Amino acid sequence: MNIELYDVTRRFGRNVAVDGVTLDAGPGVLGLLGPNGAGKTSLLRMLATILPPSSGRLALLGRDPAKPADRREIRRRLGYLPQQLGYYPSFTVVEFVEYFALLKEVPPHLVPKAVAAAVEKVDLGPKARAKLRTLSGGMLRRVGIAQAIVNEPELLLFDEPTAGLDPEQRVAFRALIRDLGQTATVVVSTHLVEDVGAACTEVALMSNGRVVFRGTPEELIARGEAGQGVGDAPLERGYSAILAAARAAS
Amino acid sequence: MTAVALSRSRPAPVLRIEIRRSVVLWAVPLLLALFYFDSFRTAAGFPPVWTVRSSVITSHMVADFGPFAAGLAAWVASREGRRKTDDLLATTVRPAWARQASALGATLFWLLLTFLAGVAAIYIDTARQATWGGPPLWPVAVGVVGVVTFAVIGFTAGALFPGRFTAPLAAIGTFLLAEIGFHAALQVVPGGSTYALLSTATAVPLGDDGVFYRVAPDLSIVQVMFMGGITVALLGLLTLAPFFRVAYRGLLAGVSRTGRWLCVAGVALLAAGVTAAATAFALAGTAQLAVSGWAIPALHDSASDQPVPYTPDCAGTSFKVCVHPAFSGFLGGANAALQPVAAEIAGLPGAPVRAEQVPSGEGVRAAQGLVLPGLRRAGLSGTPPVYNYTSDNGLAPFFGSPEGTDNAGWRAGFQQVFLTAFIAGQPHVSPGRDAAVLPPNAAQQAVITALMTAVGSPAPVFGEDTTNGQPTAGATPTQIAAAAQRFASLSSAARHAWLAAHLPALRAGRVTLAQLP
Repeated sequence: MNIELYDVTRRFGRNVAVDGVTLDAGPGVLGLLGPNGAGKTSLLRMLATILPPSSGRLALLGRDPAKPADRREIRRRLGYLPQQLGYYPSFTVVEFVEYFALLKEVPPHLVPKAVAAAVEKVDLGPKARAKLRTLSGGMLRRVGIAQAIVNEPELLLFDEPTAGLDPEQRVAFRALIRDLGQTATVVVSTHLVEDVGAACTEVALMSNGRVVFRGTPEELIARGEAGQGVGDAPLERGYSAILAAARAAS
Repeated sequence: MTAVALSRSRPAPVLRIEIRRSVVLWAVPLLLALFYFDSFRTAAGFPPVWTVRSSVITSHMVADFGPFAAGLAAWVASREGRRKTDDLLATTVRPAWARQASALGATLFWLLLTFLAGVAAIYIDTARQATWGGPPLWPVAVGVVGVVTFAVIGFTAGALFPGRFTAPLAAIGTFLLAEIGFHAALQVVPGGSTYALLSTATAVPLGDDGVFYRVAPDLSIVQVMFMGGITVALLGLLTLAPFFRVAYRGLLAGVSRTGRWLCVAGVALLAAGVTAAATAFALAGTAQLAVSGWAIPALHDSASDQPVPYTPDCAGTSFKVCVHPAFSGFLGGANAALQPVAAEIAGLPGAPVRAEQVPSGEGVRAAQGLVLPGLRRAGLSGTPPVYNYTSDNGLAPFFGSPEGTDNAGWRAGFQQVFLTAFIAGQPHVSPGRDAAVLPPNAAQQAVITALMTAVGSPAPVFGEDTTNGQPTAGATPTQIAAAAQRFASLSSAARHAWLAAHLPALRAGRVTLAQLP
């Protein structure tokens, strides 16, 4: 398993953002669904080794991120796209991706090839030499994806990756993460249930810091058909049915 | 898909990207313009003497570059906070200190490249005109360390307090610091507090600094030690800053072995830097004025107080005009200025047979209450008499380059000082606490004016000093001008004969305007 969480909790003062989550995941694409404030981003930041858990046990790629040597090794094999991508406007697309490749300690002689491959994968070849300040929001999102995949990671974490992408780009991105999920563990945190349906092999639904559903997209659809879910699409109905049940239980 | 083969990489490629995209590049044209209009033009106004022109590097260039260095470095250091890249960067392998080192390295690369280009411009310009000596390196070392210190101050501020106002505040703060240091440095007097000598700012140098006596490196060593100490201490603080945050969160156990070594290194840097800066501060307090400039007893090499041997460059036959070889470019102008007036007084009792350049420090230091043995005084002395002049009362008071000696005003000024020394002797000094040099009396002024008019020079200006409402010289300028015109209208032989008969009385101030023929 590339991700193993056992009873992981993260508190910010009195606020419990992630509440006793137990989860594991191997290669494939795991969709992390949930409403605003459900704890998706906090969970993702813990998986990205930015935040340590307040309690519980967390193992990534078979290593303990609390140990400096393990954390270093995890980060070598990690790709992360945060919800809000910070960037340096004066850098070009290639320079930005190259910068992160070097910070991830990709050997310098492999960097040009790795950067070119990552930029091509997100279809930014024609804009490779453009300064980041000249790019649209959607293009910047693709630059963020390129920097996340430049080191060919075994664990990829995407926080709202399709926000700002047009429908055509969104389709291409789903194809990309399906491809990445063949060998790596890809966690996609999103509001958009159609992303889950199209690209994810598994879904985890969070509410109030807890995982209230874990299964395949088909199982989520089935829950919607069986329950009182509302929505235009089968996945949306499953999503709302589970959330309604979770709220009722709490 | 498998992870690409990963291994430890060198920081050079990251530094290369940082250098290529450094924000300092945008400021380089501004820095160069500031350098040209302030530092370069100031240096060009000084005589082409290496030590004199190089003083601009510390007194002007550091002040020009410093606030920009601090502001730009603060802007670069606060980048991760301003641009919200913290999260993204936190997931990378390379530690924060390595990223910061690359960003600071790129900032310093452009700043120092621009700074050294400015130094090169000053030195190339000096090399084209200088006739003696070579480029001094201590001012360059002080300047480089000064710029680095300003940049590290700004970088530390930006890294510890990231925000969009940090950079302008760092620039303004360091500008004020430089100004305070500058004003404090100008007020340093022998016997008083000398801590302000730690500032790189200096007063306008004497025209022949480092020519007759070497400039002792004592002060430069202390300045480098002080600023270097501050820089090292701040780098230590930057190294320790992440550990303060980790300790605050109670996560010290999560610090790697490398991290612990870094922590130790940070403490060592901080301690070494504070010690160096404190030592330099204490040493600056012991500074004393010596013939070779400010001396720090603990560092001073008495060999610097020995005169630098030289062979003067001379022109003329019966009356020789000599300059120090550092001022060879001025020899033609000096000779052309003094020969006509020397001919007017040739053969008179006490008339000089030679004009020779002497160090200009004596007058300045005497005014500060210091008597420095070994320095020859300006004026007439010796047998046969020699006229001793200094660069600041003869060669280059206002004109930095030998081209200035073509100026009629310069020539007249040089002749006036020469004739005043001969006709009026040593300048009279008024008694009392506020001693002042008195001008020649009315008859002396008239004779000097007449002799200058006779060689075709413009009439000199002596000023209109008054004491209790009466002209100090004993007559009004109009009365003096009339007497001078009367004396000048005599034939050269008649003037010479009158002077031969009355020179002792004229020198003693016993001749009145009415007694002039």
